[in-house]
Amino acid sequence: MMNYFPDEVLEHVFDFVTSHRDRNAVSLVCKLWYRVERFSRQRVFIGNCYAISPERLIDRFPGVKALTLKGKPHFADFNLVPQDWGGYVQPWIEALARSRIGLEELRLKRMVVSDESLDVLSRSFTNFKSLVLVSCEGFTTDGLEAIAANCRFLRELDLQENEIEEKKNLWLGCFPDSCTSLVSLNFACLKEINLVALERLVARNPNLKSLKLNRAVPLEALQRILMRAPQLVDLGTGSFVLDRDSDDSETYRKLRGTILKCRSIRNLSGFLEVAPRCLPAIYPICLNLTYLNLSYAAGIHGSELIKLIRLCGKLQRLWILDYIGDKGLEIVASTCKDLQELRVFPSDPFGAGHAAVTETGLVAISSGCPKLNSLLYFCQQMTNAALIAVAKNCPNFIRFRLCILDPTKPDPVTMQPLDEGFGAIVQSSKRLRRLSLSGLLTDRVFLYIGMYAEQLEMLSIAFAGESDKGMLYVLNGCKKLRKLEIRDSPFGDMALLRDVGKYETMRSLWMSSCDVTLGGCKTLAKQMPRLNVEIINENDQMEFAHEDSQKVEKMYLYRTLVGPRKDAPEFVWTLV
Amino acid sequence: MELQLGLALPSNPTSKAFDLNYYGFEANNKEVDHVIGPCYTSSYEDINDIINIDNNINKNNNKRSFGQAFENSTRDRVVPRTLPLLLWNNNQPNEEDDPKDLENHSLFAANKNVGDGDGVVGWPPIKSWRKRLGHDNQVVRAWNNNQMVENGYVCGGRRASNSMYVKVKMEGVVIARKVDLSQHHSFETLTDTLMDMFRKWSEACEKNSNNYKLIYQDREGDWLFAQDVPWRTFIRSVQRLKLLKSSG
Repeated sequence: MMNYFPDEVLEHVFDFVTSHRDRNAVSLVCKLWYRVERFSRQRVFIGNCYAISPERLIDRFPGVKALTLKGKPHFADFNLVPQDWGGYVQPWIEALARSRIGLEELRLKRMVVSDESLDVLSRSFTNFKSLVLVSCEGFTTDGLEAIAANCRFLRELDLQENEIEEKKNLWLGCFPDSCTSLVSLNFACLKEINLVALERLVARNPNLKSLKLNRAVPLEALQRILMRAPQLVDLGTGSFVLDRDSDDSETYRKLRGTILKCRSIRNLSGFLEVAPRCLPAIYPICLNLTYLNLSYAAGIHGSELIKLIRLCGKLQRLWILDYIGDKGLEIVASTCKDLQELRVFPSDPFGAGHAAVTETGLVAISSGCPKLNSLLYFCQQMTNAALIAVAKNCPNFIRFRLCILDPTKPDPVTMQPLDEGFGAIVQSSKRLRRLSLSGLLTDRVFLYIGMYAEQLEMLSIAFAGESDKGMLYVLNGCKKLRKLEIRDSPFGDMALLRDVGKYETMRSLWMSSCDVTLGGCKTLAKQMPRLNVEIINENDQMEFAHEDSQKVEKMYLYRTLVGPRKDAPEFVWTLV
Repeated sequence: MELQLGLALPSNPTSKAFDLNYYGFEANNKEVDHVIGPCYTSSYEDINDIINIDNNINKNNNKRSFGQAFENSTRDRVVPRTLPLLLWNNNQPNEEDDPKDLENHSLFAANKNVGDGDGVVGWPPIKSWRKRLGHDNQVVRAWNNNQMVENGYVCGGRRASNSMYVKVKMEGVVIARKVDLSQHHSFETLTDTLMDMFRKWSEACEKNSNNYKLIYQDREGDWLFAQDVPWRTFIRSVQRLKLLKSSG
């Protein structure tokens, strides 16, 4: 029936199909649909920049306006991937520029971005509107100058947790006076900023909805900025302390008055430096908040934290440090009935284990917040009983990431592994998509995951399991698995090679400090030409020990349509 | 469900909140057989052979080492067959480790990939960016705590009026010292003070300050020559100091 409609009608219908997966599915129906879909696709998501080439992207989707690219494997966040591994955006930007693609939005994660890339980007796409860089590196403030100066219609510049070399403090001043289109600006990861330029920029951009400052913006400046931008929805404060020499009561009073007018603020973060005495200034807006991120605010704890939380009745997402303690989590549980996402970060990751949070806090949260669907919880210990209770109270987890600081710690009450607890979680949360395990775990937990985690897409394993069986349970059972990352677990060639076809259904597999051997990896690479099997090899000794029985320190494999990458450094071997 | 452990159990595991049978996770023979096939008693005795735990140390306290806990718990429970634990060869803790360490770290080998300060590389899984900020905040918090006692306010920016002690080590001298950087505003005064400090404690080395180069560790963990950066940059990111003998 649909074949009798002109292409324009199909295209119009497809306009309503927005998610990447749905559009991918649409394109597989028939050749006609494939053709119509590809010319009308504007937003493309590429989860692994080495799975495809820029040329093929441009060829298939000539109308692309918004591109998301991800580079390094996830474990690069934790220093497991050496410098210069790869993930360069330069070839992408060059190719897009050459092809006259009308790029408007670029979102990069864990990629290497150079000043030259930013310069080319800023000059090649006249309608460029949005640049979001997450956990990227390789550029300096010179690159930011180019973006500020040349992107005339820039709406969004969002720099999240990047490593940026700060040369001169001038980039913010490079936004021309005619730049009045900014909606979102985030420079929290920088150390310095030009305050005068910042205030003038905010003053002439009335559509600014999201502003995240850095530590170099003092409280006085925050007050002046908020005066100009009471329409903000999303605020990241900079330094939230009062300088001893300034006239404290006056500044504080002004700030409090200004904040009272900021009725639109729903998301609050920052507090990179904070004095608890200044906190009451934000009390008036707490009741409107749906997202509160205090995970960098080491200066707030104990009673001040509790006082603040008690006012935030509408909170849906809360990110905090474990200073909150189990008692504080009980307060959260009784106050934040709409809570959907909770992240509790460790204040002292290598510490001696002074009371942070334990299973008690988590059970309290699960009891009071049944809508909880996303959890990241760093804790001292966990019990099976607690996990079973949490599973019962909260059957809606989409993301469940538990990190016990001692990664092989058993249930301290029963001394059992935590297999049963995690088993309860996967059995009860039928929509679970992401899971990170920790604690003492045998193969049994993987049996449960294989049996019950039908929607699981990403699994992170560390110091867990006893045998190849564990890994096999997961590979056999989790039909929707896309990313599997494993470190320090006893899985070897038998598990790796049992079902080699599985890896083409996944984005990537990372295994480090496991038991896979060079021989096993070579076998895999030979059998599967459409996988890049990369060995990261930092020791010189490997040069002399090309023995197949040698265990591989780090292996990263991913499906690809474009063969081995040509930019691999000398410590990365792609096996063929 | 009764747990057949030889441990002194602190709580009664039959209340509703943690009914282990709720989801049908009966760790009994029948279910395991049905799912997996023939089962064998686990070979957990092997753990003890490999780890070589000294059982005598654990006799008089309630804590169990990892191996003992498993040995006891699996006596009455059947578990799926496991492959030989020889796969753990590369990850064995050093056999000379104090068994008490094993209680704290289980099989968490302390000699693996020691990277970030105290632990294994990449554990706990926190982004380096956050770790660095956390470290900075710990330093700031220490200052905050000092000030709060005084007058209830915090001087985030006025570091010169807070004491700022960092460790200093001189090459060739065993004992490290601490210096209050807030008392200094230039490298000259700092180096003079440092040389004075070490002069008292070590006569063996040359005391002429020209023979020593001052290096410092910044927030990112990198060691840099102090003289290469302006004082302002130095004072903001210095974590530790070292005095190295100059070669020339």
